[in-house]
Amino acid sequence: MSTAAIAIPTRAARRPWPWARAAKGAIGVLLLLVAWQVSVPLVGLNSYFYPAPSDVVAAFADLIRKGILPVYLADSLLRYLAGLTAGAVLGISLGVLIGLHRRVSLALSPLLRFMFAIVEVAWIPIFVVWFGYGLKTIILALVYVVFFPVLYNTLLGVRTAPQLLVNAVRSLGASRLQVLRLVILPAALPGIITGLRVGAGFAFRGLVFAEIIAAKTGIGYLIFEGTQTQQTARTIVGMIVMGLLWLGMDQFYLRPLERATVQRWGLLVEAEQRT
Amino acid sequence: MTQSRAAEGYVLGTVPFLLLVAGWAVLPHVLQYPQYMLPPIGVVLDFARESIADGSLLLNVLASLARLAIGFVIGMALAVPLGLAIALNRHIADLFRPVLSFLQAIAGIAWVPLTIIWFGIGNGSVIFVIANTIFFASLYNTVVGVQSIPVPLYRAVRSHGGRGFALLTNLILPGALVQILLGIRTSMAYGWRALVASEMIAGTSGLGYMTMEAVQWQRTEVIILGMIIIGLLWVIMDRTIFTPIERRTVGRWGLLQR
Repeated sequence: MSTAAIAIPTRAARRPWPWARAAKGAIGVLLLLVAWQVSVPLVGLNSYFYPAPSDVVAAFADLIRKGILPVYLADSLLRYLAGLTAGAVLGISLGVLIGLHRRVSLALSPLLRFMFAIVEVAWIPIFVVWFGYGLKTIILALVYVVFFPVLYNTLLGVRTAPQLLVNAVRSLGASRLQVLRLVILPAALPGIITGLRVGAGFAFRGLVFAEIIAAKTGIGYLIFEGTQTQQTARTIVGMIVMGLLWLGMDQFYLRPLERATVQRWGLLVEAEQRT
Repeated sequence: MTQSRAAEGYVLGTVPFLLLVAGWAVLPHVLQYPQYMLPPIGVVLDFARESIADGSLLLNVLASLARLAIGFVIGMALAVPLGLAIALNRHIADLFRPVLSFLQAIAGIAWVPLTIIWFGIGNGSVIFVIANTIFFASLYNTVVGVQSIPVPLYRAVRSHGGRGFALLTNLILPGALVQILLGIRTSMAYGWRALVASEMIAGTSGLGYMTMEAVQWQRTEVIILGMIIIGLLWVIMDRTIFTPIERRTVGRWGLLQR
């Protein structure tokens, strides 16, 4: 291995400094913005069809000044968190239940698989009929979309819980609840987190769609409303805020969470090997 | 032993479906639900028979599937070359990564309002959104696919004099293919949602259009039939196309990943 590394430098060794990568990335972003600005007079359409970056900046300042954007952002985030939490709690509970009881699993799997196939998007029309345009419809759609990935990944995690550890803990006199808390849940945790991350991705798009259909505030509504009222620059502000929001959440919340649980899991595997 | 277990699974698995149908048959009468909230099963079946007989259901299904297929082909055709370029050239990767990860974050349904302005309501908007969704999902898979090719294989091909085009066709494309094929299922899961969602907002036909349109006329039987068809179609596509692709890919090339 070491001789090979001398013969052909590994990719890691050739990696430039991080700031050089960041600088190149910034150039890429800048190039895109310049190309966009330059193309506006070339395309020659009015700003309703093709707003310039300067229009978007103006619309952004306007939305901030009128206090619209902060309110919309807060509304979207609240809906997202509420849906995500409720969906995750449901998914984890049912996942543990199904994972531990073979018969419940046999009974529910086909129905769940079919319900999973009816994507949350397809439920929105009937939610609208049942609950009207508004918060209930949006939250339900989010719960629905988060529930399944969390459920399936929890299930996977529960089933990989080492039987040896379960037996060991039980033979030391642990109650069923203690087995759940000490062995099953820690073993399932990485699966749960993976499920959450997948669910969070689908739910984010689900949120925007649900807001386009059923809301009067929020980032999704901003994106939709902009084109309805011939303020296309507002639509683009909405899209940019949406993108930055997701990148921020992924970078500062979901990825660290995943890393932290993988480390925890690593410890568990070590413990298993030591036994 | 295994046979009786499978039989047990079938029996147990049908129970919740039966309960669901039974509840659907009884509860609306007991709770005095108005028909627009939850129509009786008979009404949905009647509508199913009607729409199959006059061919409108088939037309909507075919319209949706055709858009999905076209969007998929466009998205893949753009994603694979760019993905290869990004995976193979560090400068291109560094230059494009922030822009692409930003665009990936807004890929899909958020584009619908803009595409309605640009292409109007109809095929153009829907196909753009699907292609856009598939593109970003597949791009990621292509890059990961190339990067997951074991370095010793590169060295083996290089030491036998393989470079340039030969390296591409003998190692990189087949190596990346595993991940690209495995990623199709996830891409399509996003693409399918994007299809239904964009048809609801910007469609003039298709399953999404059919279900959303029915909200205005309070024809809940149309919505329910639409949902069932959307679920069934996904199950069928998954069973007959995506899962076999996944299985064969892992079966044939699974070793390569290790």
